[in-house]
Amino acid sequence: MSDIVAKLKGIVGEEYVVTADMSQYLRGNEQPQAVVFPGSTEDVAGIVKAAYDAGIKVNVGGKVVDTKGLTGGIAIVMSRMNQIEEVDPENLTCWVQAGMNHQEFVEKILEKNLYFPPEPYAVSTSSIGGCFGIGDVDTKAFNYLPTRTYILAYESVLPTGEVYKIGTKCIKCVSGYDLIHFITGTRATLGILTRVLVKLLPKPQAYRAVVADMPSLGAAAQAFKAIQKRKIFPTRLNALCKALGNEIMETKGVLVLVDLEGFPASTAQNALEVEAELRIAGATFSKIVEDKAEYDELWAKWLKVREKINLQENKVKFTVGPAKVPNAIASLAGIVGNLEENPGVLVEGLNGKLTVFTENAENDAVAINKLAMSLGGNVCGLLGNKLKSKAYNEDHNEIINVLNSIRSQFDPKGIMAPGIKF
Amino acid sequence: MLSQSQVNKLKSILGDKDVITSKIGMYAYGYDGTMLEGAHVAVVFPESTQEVVEVVNFCREQGIALVPRGAGTNVSGGTLPSEGSIVINFARMNKVLEIDLENYVAIVEPGVVNWDIQEILAKYGYYYPPDPASWKASTIGGNLGESSGGPKCFKYGVTRDFIYGLEVVLPNGKVIWVGGRDFSSEPMYDLTRIIVGSEGTLGFITKAALRIQPVPQAKRTMLGIFNTPEDCSQAVADIVAAGIIPTTLEMMDNLIINTTEDYAHAGNPRDAGALIIIEVDGYAADLDAQVETIRKVCEKDNAKEFRIAKSAAEVDQIWLARRVAFGSVARVKPNYGINDITVPRSEFPKAIAGIEKVKKDFGATIGIVAHAGDGNLHPLILYDQRNKEEVDLLHKAEMVLCELALSLGGTVSGEHGIGILKKALMPKEFGEQTLNVFKKIKRAFDPQNKFNPGKIIDL
Repeated sequence: MSDIVAKLKGIVGEEYVVTADMSQYLRGNEQPQAVVFPGSTEDVAGIVKAAYDAGIKVNVGGKVVDTKGLTGGIAIVMSRMNQIEEVDPENLTCWVQAGMNHQEFVEKILEKNLYFPPEPYAVSTSSIGGCFGIGDVDTKAFNYLPTRTYILAYESVLPTGEVYKIGTKCIKCVSGYDLIHFITGTRATLGILTRVLVKLLPKPQAYRAVVADMPSLGAAAQAFKAIQKRKIFPTRLNALCKALGNEIMETKGVLVLVDLEGFPASTAQNALEVEAELRIAGATFSKIVEDKAEYDELWAKWLKVREKINLQENKVKFTVGPAKVPNAIASLAGIVGNLEENPGVLVEGLNGKLTVFTENAENDAVAINKLAMSLGGNVCGLLGNKLKSKAYNEDHNEIINVLNSIRSQFDPKGIMAPGIKF
Repeated sequence: MLSQSQVNKLKSILGDKDVITSKIGMYAYGYDGTMLEGAHVAVVFPESTQEVVEVVNFCREQGIALVPRGAGTNVSGGTLPSEGSIVINFARMNKVLEIDLENYVAIVEPGVVNWDIQEILAKYGYYYPPDPASWKASTIGGNLGESSGGPKCFKYGVTRDFIYGLEVVLPNGKVIWVGGRDFSSEPMYDLTRIIVGSEGTLGFITKAALRIQPVPQAKRTMLGIFNTPEDCSQAVADIVAAGIIPTTLEMMDNLIINTTEDYAHAGNPRDAGALIIIEVDGYAADLDAQVETIRKVCEKDNAKEFRIAKSAAEVDQIWLARRVAFGSVARVKPNYGINDITVPRSEFPKAIAGIEKVKKDFGATIGIVAHAGDGNLHPLILYDQRNKEEVDLLHKAEMVLCELALSLGGTVSGEHGIGILKKALMPKEFGEQTLNVFKKIKRAFDPQNKFNPGKIIDL
């Protein structure tokens, strides 16, 4: 047994360190020397400190851990830290441990007539820690704002093993640097979240969904523009190509999924107006879903499809702004081929964001970024930033310098999340 | 004091009229809303990103610190010039570069006044939600520096929630764009969020992409008048518990009700313990039901009066007292210290009680204006700046108020920032490790500590 494995067993107990048959806890081809299951912040701090002292790489996950760059390292699975510690309805907040399953959290909170809007990144495995670690801008973000909006405070273990806390139950706080929101999306490169104070909302009083079978993505996009012109801003306004849509319901063409949450009168009225616009744009079938069980089943299926999209490696996500979506759709086929036959196209009407599966993501991203930039957008994230900077002939290295400078301040030995390179 | 060659170099970058070094010329740029004064050696007025870069590069070579400034409405000392620094005033970078209504984006320079962008957007039926009280004077750059709040924050969020991206000049003179024209374009780390609210200590913002929104279909304005602040705070809690997040929940206590009556005759009862202005907005079809729910809540919580505005004139009448609240206290004392302590909403009644105790303990005159939905209080401590005893008392009472907020699980600053005024309280709000993390952030951007040094933390 290696020294580090012995140390880990001393910290969390022998039963919570796995060194054989680890595959169920891992995603990827590389092999860490141990999977460890901490039960407390102190456990996490002990594990990280031991790894830091020994210069051993560490990555973390809710149920599964990405092994990229983790050969010989330590995979920390947070699933034992899965408790809701405190629900505070008066302040609309909740302390929750980072390993709690995201969707389970949403459901438990709903039972208390409270609401946590962010969508799970991968509904079957995502944890609350992962939710903020990834910091997605999900398909509800136009109305509810991005995931980072829902973190008010947290406890984190630094890559050097120290624990720090920041934040309060106040929704307004400008004391010190805004680490509270900055930490969202840092993917464990700056430390491991162990407990999070999340912001909640009152549960919506009414729900409706509108589904439609549209002849094309272009027709769906035109309907989305018309809906916004009516000043209707649904919770979700998504269109899925036939291949993805059929995993939710059978359609001849593109599946449009519209989610309307809110107060009873406007929700009912908006559903009628949305359906009318979809019909005008050529829907061959449409339906307003009023039954709550049917509504829940529909969005549960959507979350499965969302997981599939998010875990697909060969894809490009890009934004163009809501009004430019029809233009983007019209031009995209020239890059990736017939969109109606593509295995994965998602249009987020309000975010002005598109996702497309492609066998040659790296090359296509360059062409797609050029297209997106011509429409005022870009490919998302670090890749998009790099492509954008190259296109402008600017010094992309300066962004990388800033990112690396921050990372090295937090993690001087570079042990955390080794798969993430800038 | 700068040497003549240093002054000449700055003038060669900016032009003669955009460099001030005379004592009298610099005076107006040496203080802010705190009434404290700094000790700068020049004021410069860049008009482009390139000029900012050249000033930054020159000052870095010369070892001179730079202090950014917009309209100087800061009330935490964030814009006070440090000893020997140059004030870099962004007021002339005030162009609205683009408004893209269909994609909900406006691109502006930092010197644009918040109110000016609101007026432009209003013509098209759009708006930019962050609305700090200083919005008629304060600049977008200043709002970004402090991550300013305002009455609409309870429903819509603060400045950081409405920024898609920024052009930033770093302390090394390099220019980066962080974020983009949407929320999905950050280069992995959300650099926009760490720069917003950093009070110009990490980089200087030279352009900002703002998220703009269509004006909601409808709005209703209500006024609840209560015998006691406790009843008023209970109503706030009960409105939220009823599933309604109002746009605005603005509270005023008895002292402020009376100073505003003296000043503007707003028509509110002088014997009221507190009042709240409540606004809801959204789809027109929903608002009648929400108003009815709020009316019932206020009645249950012993409101002595509940008014619903039926016309634009009545809306203005309800808002009149709040709009003149700060100015009206001048009838009692010539100066006031404004604080922005914030507590969890559930602790709001205890905060009010704590402020009452501070009044008694210090013999101070304190009026309260509050964004009650956020738990964000503005206890206005009235004093006379010419009376040293009163000034000393003000500073002591403000510290006690901050400690009160911390004891209730709150923060010393909900929307004004730390600057220098509240820096001493940072170790009381944060543990040593957290302060060390703040220093890591500062060192990552500005290892030489030349961008607004001495603000928020000391390295």
